[in-house]
Amino acid sequence: MSEPIPAVLIVLPIVAATVPLAAGLVRDRVGWAIATLVLTAEAALATVLAYRIYVDGERVVHVLGGSEFGRQEVEFGGVTSEFIVGIELVGDALSGLVVLLIAFVSLGVLAFTRQGGPRSNAFYSGYLLLAGGLMGVPLTGDLFNMFVFLEIVGLTTYALVASSDRPEAAVAALKYLVIGTTGASLYLIGVGYLFVRTGTLNMVDVSRSLAGEPGWIAGSMYGDPLVAAGFGFVVVGLATKAAIYPLHTWQPDAYAEAPDGVTVYISALVSTVGAYALARVTWFVFTPEFFVVNTLVIEAVLVLAGGSVLAGSVLAASQRRVKRMFAYSSVAQFGLIVLAIGVAVHPAASEQATRFAVYGTVIHLLGHAVIKGGLFATVGSIAEGTDARMVREYAGLARQRPFLSGAFAVLGFALVGVPPTIGFVGKWYIGLSAVESRLWPVVAVVVISTVLSLLYMARLLENLYFDTSTVTTDAPGSQSTDVAADGGGANGAEVDADMTPRKAAVGTRPPYGMIGLALVAAIAVVGLGFVGADLTTALDPVVEAVIESSPEVTP
Amino acid sequence: MTATVVSDPRPIAAVLVSALAIVLIIASHRRPNVREGWSVLAAVTKFGIIASMLPGALDGTEYRWSFGEFVFNIEFALRADPLGMLFATLASLLWVFTAFYAAGYMRGLGEHSQTRFFAAFAASLSTAVGIAFAENLVTLFLFYELLSVATYPLVAHDETREARAAGRKYLAYTFFGGGVLVLAGTALVFVLTDTTTFGETAAGLAAADPTLARAAFALLGAGFGVKAAIMPTHSWLPDAMVAPTPVSGLLHAVAVVKSGVFGIARLVLEVFGPDLVSDLGVGVILAAVAAFTLTVASVIALRQDRLKRRLAYSTVSQLSYIVLGLGVLGPTATTGALLHIPAHAFMKLTLFFCAGIIHVETHTDYISEMDGIGKRMPLTMAAFAVASAGMAGIPLVAGFVSKWFLLTGSVEAGQSVFAVVLLVSGVLNIAYFWPIVYGAFFETHDTADSKPLVEGRLGGDTGATMPSEAEPPTSVPTPDGGAAGTESETGRTDSEGSRDRDGKIHDTHEEGSHHGGPGPGGWESAGWRGEEGTWLMLGPILAIVAGSIVLGVVPYEAVFLELIQVVVEGATA
Amino acid sequence: MTMIDLLATRYAYVLFAVLLVLGLYMIVASPNLVKKVIGLNIFQTAIFLFFVTTAYVTDVDGESAQAPVIPKDAQMYDPYASPLPQVIVLTAIVVGIALTAVALALIVRIYSEYGTLDEDTLREVRSNE
Repeated sequence: MSEPIPAVLIVLPIVAATVPLAAGLVRDRVGWAIATLVLTAEAALATVLAYRIYVDGERVVHVLGGSEFGRQEVEFGGVTSEFIVGIELVGDALSGLVVLLIAFVSLGVLAFTRQGGPRSNAFYSGYLLLAGGLMGVPLTGDLFNMFVFLEIVGLTTYALVASSDRPEAAVAALKYLVIGTTGASLYLIGVGYLFVRTGTLNMVDVSRSLAGEPGWIAGSMYGDPLVAAGFGFVVVGLATKAAIYPLHTWQPDAYAEAPDGVTVYISALVSTVGAYALARVTWFVFTPEFFVVNTLVIEAVLVLAGGSVLAGSVLAASQRRVKRMFAYSSVAQFGLIVLAIGVAVHPAASEQATRFAVYGTVIHLLGHAVIKGGLFATVGSIAEGTDARMVREYAGLARQRPFLSGAFAVLGFALVGVPPTIGFVGKWYIGLSAVESRLWPVVAVVVISTVLSLLYMARLLENLYFDTSTVTTDAPGSQSTDVAADGGGANGAEVDADMTPRKAAVGTRPPYGMIGLALVAAIAVVGLGFVGADLTTALDPVVEAVIESSPEVTP
Repeated sequence: MTATVVSDPRPIAAVLVSALAIVLIIASHRRPNVREGWSVLAAVTKFGIIASMLPGALDGTEYRWSFGEFVFNIEFALRADPLGMLFATLASLLWVFTAFYAAGYMRGLGEHSQTRFFAAFAASLSTAVGIAFAENLVTLFLFYELLSVATYPLVAHDETREARAAGRKYLAYTFFGGGVLVLAGTALVFVLTDTTTFGETAAGLAAADPTLARAAFALLGAGFGVKAAIMPTHSWLPDAMVAPTPVSGLLHAVAVVKSGVFGIARLVLEVFGPDLVSDLGVGVILAAVAAFTLTVASVIALRQDRLKRRLAYSTVSQLSYIVLGLGVLGPTATTGALLHIPAHAFMKLTLFFCAGIIHVETHTDYISEMDGIGKRMPLTMAAFAVASAGMAGIPLVAGFVSKWFLLTGSVEAGQSVFAVVLLVSGVLNIAYFWPIVYGAFFETHDTADSKPLVEGRLGGDTGATMPSEAEPPTSVPTPDGGAAGTESETGRTDSEGSRDRDGKIHDTHEEGSHHGGPGPGGWESAGWRGEEGTWLMLGPILAIVAGSIVLGVVPYEAVFLELIQVVVEGATA
Repeated sequence: MTMIDLLATRYAYVLFAVLLVLGLYMIVASPNLVKKVIGLNIFQTAIFLFFVTTAYVTDVDGESAQAPVIPKDAQMYDPYASPLPQVIVLTAIVVGIALTAVALALIVRIYSEYGTLDEDTLREVRSNE
């Protein structure tokens, strides 16, 4: 009954986090090797877990503490009901994909940090700790436990952001800390309200109690103002973690000031688990039934998310630093994801609309993580040797960095949502769900977001490829001038992979690990676009659970 | 006639052949001859693959290839149906000629970044054929967006401020049209009918709420209309003329803009079907917008002094002929509309190629400088004259046949007002093409008549005013390599090209931009045997103009009309 | 329930609300970084107080409440203090301490780099750079 894999996935990196520190007493710079070893094991474990979830069709549950805990019959007031004692870790069809994402991104980013990122042992201790915390968020089945994991993620992220040499990083990290902790605390208040009403913290049990299932509860508690207030606090808290406008202010500073390797990692995963948590709580703790009673609440969420899409895009377009631009772009993209989370449970959504919204949420969540992580990896690699960090400094760099520019173009168009990339598939489902549920303002926001994201991506790409006004270095014999100029689509990535780099560019060329990560990400966003249909099949149990307002995803 | 659908990899092969060529083109970027060899080889192979499917398409066999499910309930599938074959045959056939011409053009000017140019060109053709064969709206949208992406480097090719502005405008317009309108329309169609496969949606749309069905038509029509340069979303097209002329020719007169028109054809004939379009009353609106566009664009064309811009406005106007024919509905008008796709393609490509060779050989871009140029470029201007005649609908050239169908089709459908519009536009066509031909052959630079339409202020008042639309030629940024222009036609490498570009900036400071027009002694004389330019460019021009005459003289022998009849039978059955 | 009743019987909840707002105000309004962190601590403490308060359970609908860990046949206590929220608070306190430690470490670094703890001065210093 109690499966070890979910627990090992969380505990392994957290325990292993002590090793680089201890090993540091003996040898320097062993952190990378240890992290690689541990995270390779994590990736293998995550694959096994995913296999069991998606192929064997299991719901993998681990109960912390041993066999005397777990689901037990509880009699109260003459009625028997099943209740949990202890904390559950659950791998189901929703969390499996996120676990896979975390495992492989964690491993992949190491290729970047080997030469590009901080190299101290302490950094890798923090990195492993963060990986463990990230794993915990999707796997936990307990609301308070989720708070703890969110805080582990938060704490280590603050520390990693501050690991840059620049003093600004400390200021950014402190800002992040204050806002992030306030957000997490608001989430905790929300959990407290739910706990007061239901007497439990387990997600399934809270959900059942809210629905009024256990015999001793008079009926559903959805109309209770305390429960609605609890939802409000939870949403605000998690929206802060996912950097939804106007709670996003920590994010641009943190992304921009963190060391490049850290930016890649946190941009791909940290806000992602925040949005995952929001989806999990909204869909499975509160369930669509709750929003039938509280329609106004979910509409407020949609307004918040829509505002985030618009504001994030406009702010991104007005940035001069590339990293800040992409940070604001994340604000917009997470706005889209939260829109989809909201549409899935909106009373106006038909079953088909819910289906598409669930697909859209998860696929865009995964897609955005790969796209944004890849973009930041590309930005970091381009900065290596050229020191270009402003939009205008990108002018004409395509001639010096043909592969990175090609990857950049592919990832950029994926962000805009050009098919056949994963970015399109996500947006397609989100747009489809909005049309299907006849929420026309949402439709407008989703389709306009394409043009808005073009606003900033096109400016960068134009600078990169067609602006020769400020080319500072005249690379002699730069024969690869024209390489990778097709600028996107299915061929771009393959073209790049096909070519061997044959020129020594001016300045220091970025190491292969950094270029490699950017190229892999570029290939992945196109490749993932073609497995969209498989992803949707994998998500079908989630869809059914949401449609039935079921608290747990049963295969 | 019901089509037999046969599973066959040829549709995807036709798409991928030029995608593969991209890799080869980039890989051989050091050896221009090999690189252009790949270009030509890919063009010929692509045409060969598509041509091999022609007999099947005429017999009612449709070759289909599917990747499987791409997004929920929608396959990524290609199918070579007659309508798709029409567009694919046209684009791939003309690419063969353009591949030669482009090599001549780019080398003649010693352009920079030629590898990027040829790679993006191949990518554009790949996606254009994808658009032609797309079996459903989502697959169409996929290639539609990729086409925007692939053509952007071509528009912004010059890397000048003007070119980049044009590129921005191009991306903004096409992504608004594609990413916003077409995507929203596609989503709406899918929601209403649970499918986006062409030919299967009409029933669902007929059963749906008419308001939503009309909204879907409006979204898709407007979205495709952006690429088809229907007013008021046409202004990207004249600006995109800053691109090298092979791009203006093949892409901005054939592949890209026709993909918009093709989208509208799919929309009218297969997504909604003529009956439903008629029932919803949206066809007349489409036709009215097209009628407005074709008249106004013709009038604007009158006042353009820059040859390529005049051709661009002519394109805007001619594309609306096609849309008008589709909007009028009825088998004859539809036949005319579809026939105008190849007819206009042949003629307009000839005209653009003429403009290109004039630019390469004499650096002349302005009509006001072309008086007497017939002496210098006799073959070119003869081809130009034939194609212009076709544009105006003079018999024996392709344009006449299609316009005849359009005219009779409009009357037949009881919408004679559109027939009047077509006739008026024909007159306007003559008005803006005849001065060029007349000036070229029957005037010299010194004795040319004044051109009040171009030079005068809008509204009359000829004389002492400054030209408003036409800029003085001296301020024109010539996108060529300055003096290095004609000296070498072969063997230039990219590194030389990029040095040329740097050199150009230098030149501009030193001696100002190049002056077009005849030399001090007027145009020198060139014979009729091709002394006027390289055969790499003259050959394609003559071939295509011959094609447009074939289409005009024996339309039933050329394959296009047969294909169209199959399409029209299928759509109206 | 009158205001007086509310203050008399639910004073812990009132205190929770007061502390929460007070802490939030300090976080937002105080320009001093250390005071911001203190505000954060007050904010969190308010939440701890809330949890501890909720552990105090009296009878529910005439039936005596019981904690989940008490065996079924045990004597019913009324009122009793549920241990679960207290465990939660204990964990939350640990998290809070860790956060405070990181925050103070960051503040030390900021002070050594910029020589100020005042947010406004800090902004000026950074914009001058």
